[in-house]
Amino acid sequence: MPITILSVDDSKMVRMLVSKAFKKFDCRVLEASNGLEGMAIAAQEKPDLILLDFTMPVMDGMEMLDMLRSHDDLKTVPVVMLTAERSRDMLAEFAKKGVRDYLVKPFREQEIVERVGRIVPLVVPVA
Amino acid sequence: MNTDLEVILEAAAKNVFSTMLSFNVEFQKLDGSFFDGGEHVAGTVGITGAFNGMVYLYSSAPFARQMTCSLLGMKDSEIEGNEMVNDAMGELTNMMAGFIKSRLDNAGCRCVMTIPSVIRGRDFKIEPVSGVIRKTIYFQSSGGKVLVEALLKATS
Repeated sequence: MPITILSVDDSKMVRMLVSKAFKKFDCRVLEASNGLEGMAIAAQEKPDLILLDFTMPVMDGMEMLDMLRSHDDLKTVPVVMLTAERSRDMLAEFAKKGVRDYLVKPFREQEIVERVGRIVPLVVPVA
Repeated sequence: MNTDLEVILEAAAKNVFSTMLSFNVEFQKLDGSFFDGGEHVAGTVGITGAFNGMVYLYSSAPFARQMTCSLLGMKDSEIEGNEMVNDAMGELTNMMAGFIKSRLDNAGCRCVMTIPSVIRGRDFKIEPVSGVIRKTIYFQSSGGKVLVEALLKATS
């Protein structure tokens, strides 16, 4: 059964990069452009992992993270934060809220695959 | 701040271009105008907080397209219209601005960033008002020419 990754980012470009990175693996990548959309999709699809942007309109990554952590079905879903910034305060906040890992943009495709692969199994389907 | 900002801009350009595009950058002195009569694209992201201002990433339209292909691993024929190119330029500028913002934050100058936008045209000029720190770096990369400019003003 393929694993499901939810990519929540207001940048269509980043969502495309994420989808491209996991294309060769047996996984389904779902997309949302803000935290509100992300929560709706997460509640319905129960993803195995969420790649979550920090800064987004409507609902940002930290708000969505708070909602995930207080949701009975979603509180244990591993979250990897994606951010264009790297301030010490932000990293401390990620740790406090149980974020499994984070990636600072720009990131290499291989880097995101490696980080996600440490948390969920990524399998290349046999042709 | 002037010297520091130039160092930060160069580090941001190297980081973003090598990581996202696998392009090397060669910093040079710009002689004359950046514009050559052809269409150009400029990504722009605002910074506000301890410093207010803008970060711009300029390139020719054909090179912006080349960067988009490289970013997405796509062929030129797969890039439809300007939307993808605009998104790519916006995202690359966002990453540059994020790098600059992080350096400012870590120096105790807290700032936030605005959403990216894109300007297109054959000849345009952004002029700062007085009191603004203006730093520009110019480089060649994979056959294209790129200009990165930051206009910043301390608020306190």
